Amino acid sequence: MIVVVGLSHHTAPLPVREALAFARDRLPEALARLRAEAGLDEAAILSTCNRVEVYGFSRRPDAADAIARFLAAYHARPEAEVIPHLYRLEGDAAVRHAFRVAASLDSMVLGEPQILGQVKAAYDDAAAAAALGAVLNALRNRSVGAARRARTETAIGKNAVSVSYVAVELARKIFGDLRDRNVLLVGAGKMSELAARHLVRSGARASVLGGRRFERAEELAAALGGRAAPFEALRDELGRAEIVISGTGAPGIVITRPDVEAASAVRRNRPLFLIDIAVPRDIEPEAGRVPGVFLYDLDDLKAVGEANLRERRKEAAAAEAIVEQEVAEFLAWRKSLDLVPVVVELRERAEEIRKSELAKARGRLGSLTPEQESAIEGLTSAIVNKLIHHPTVHLKEIASNGHAAEQVGFIRKLLGL
Amino acid sequence: MTSHTYLVLTLVCYAVGALHVLLHALTRRRALGPLALVATLVGFALNTAGLSQRWTEAGRFPAVGLHDGASFLAWAIVLVFLATWVRTRVEALGLVVYPVVFGLALVAGLTRPSETSDPVLKSYFLPIHTTLALFGYAALFVACAMGILYLMQDRELRSRSPRAFYYLLPSLERCDTLGARIVAVGFGFLSLAIVTGLLWNENARGRFWTGDAKQWSAVVAWVIYLVLIAARRRSGWGGRRGAWLSIAGFSAVAFAWAWMALVSGVAVASR
Repeated sequence: MIVVVGLSHHTAPLPVREALAFARDRLPEALARLRAEAGLDEAAILSTCNRVEVYGFSRRPDAADAIARFLAAYHARPEAEVIPHLYRLEGDAAVRHAFRVAASLDSMVLGEPQILGQVKAAYDDAAAAAALGAVLNALRNRSVGAARRARTETAIGKNAVSVSYVAVELARKIFGDLRDRNVLLVGAGKMSELAARHLVRSGARASVLGGRRFERAEELAAALGGRAAPFEALRDELGRAEIVISGTGAPGIVITRPDVEAASAVRRNRPLFLIDIAVPRDIEPEAGRVPGVFLYDLDDLKAVGEANLRERRKEAAAAEAIVEQEVAEFLAWRKSLDLVPVVVELRERAEEIRKSELAKARGRLGSLTPEQESAIEGLTSAIVNKLIHHPTVHLKEIASNGHAAEQVGFIRKLLGL
Repeated sequence: MTSHTYLVLTLVCYAVGALHVLLHALTRRRALGPLALVATLVGFALNTAGLSQRWTEAGRFPAVGLHDGASFLAWAIVLVFLATWVRTRVEALGLVVYPVVFGLALVAGLTRPSETSDPVLKSYFLPIHTTLALFGYAALFVACAMGILYLMQDRELRSRSPRAFYYLLPSLERCDTLGARIVAVGFGFLSLAIVTGLLWNENARGRFWTGDAKQWSAVVAWVIYLVLIAARRRSGWGGRRGAWLSIAGFSAVAFAWAWMALVSGVAVASR
């Protein structure tokens, strides 16, 4: 049975998640201990900042409890502190959970792309520690495949939700291609740097306007592969720029409407995208009324991010449907494996009957020539084979179309196995 | 099959296309699904068949009067739309194009073919002039649709709270440059259509300029587009003003087409 035991941002506060996190370099040892202590045939550990989960395959019915106890023991925490935060999933529910996690449907930020890489890494680490077998390997392949499908066939991973990515996406909605666009940074804050990095990566050119500490602007310009300019050059730089990111710590307005108007005069009607991520704001709100100017402040960017998240939620239903379909296929495949022993058993049982009946009759037949011997062998084998041929074919058919589970019991009864 | 049967089937296909585009846009934030595309291609084939059938039935080029004019214009718009889509993959264009194409096919389906048998219509100028004009109209319509998309996206961006269109529409830059390119193509066709129209007039009536509303509107449209193209070249005009000019130019074009289609069914030549 496949089991998942763990906790996530849904069930546990950060301190508990931190306490149960696994260091990646200690995973081989942890996996070995886990398998020994919880009696798992196969195991993988997924440890990210939002979740710690053990994926296991075991024939023991108490595997989930054993994993829970291991998690407390390994991290030297009292069980009472850890166990209430854990969820334990078994069988179908565990499989479904593993698929949903990989597809980022269980993530804190729906559709975020990192989780798939983390899931893959978790399985890879388990494989390196020789903790993966046929079952979890199949779970890995199918859940990763389902996650990829969900990402490509739905828009669950599209539309940025973080402020800096939202700014980049908006720039794309205005300018299309960002290659050779000029980005002007006013002030050298962390968030403006992040947004500028995204823009530069898309091919934009950066320049940084320095304030009192000009060295800081020069450093940032160097890091972005651009150039620095003194704050006095604001109007000239505005005239050259297409995208302006302003994030100074200044207490008042830094860029006024007249500044923007002056810049517009030399821009020949090219649009200007002003991003004000400073609090208090750097850019006079009135500047957004100048023709061809788009002004977004921090709240606007957040609002767009929230709207984008709503879009993702709408797509989540489509992604869930894909995942559900893949889960169903995986479960059907797992259950079809139950029929393999039935087929083998049927053959063995038939052969057994043939041999014992032949032995009983052989005495009464007296001495036979070798030709007659082999004729009787052939005759009985042929009868048995003909009789079980059809059930065998049919069993394989049932197994492949996924209806095995509900029929296994009935088939066994019918065939007297 | 008669041309009317073809037309009804065309109408059904375009209706399916239009509905699917709208629903797809609402639910999936895309415009052109496979179903809409197939419906469009089948509709276009039927539309073509219907026009050629109509040519046989009428014994002249099927571009006279409201019935034929609407059917032909729908055909030309679909062709230009598909060509634009193949080259640029701007699906959102379908949001403006499909309802209009459906409307045109509906108008064609509800009206009777013009029975006018003016000898002027026997002229070889009819196919040349009308084909040029209709392709010009179609291209300028698609350019106008680009302008509409531009204004819609501009509004979305200014509202700072994106709704469906924000996700669906291409960037402002793309609407702007594509619109300008399509205007250039449409302007070429329009110019040729005006020249052939004047020649036809001269050929049939002995004078180039008859001064009817259609001629005037065509010239007004031509001037608007000339201004649009020149202002763009000289001083980087574009964006919202460009979009509005493109819409204004197409209004004049639409008037010219409506005059051709509605007034006596015979265009320039009969006035």
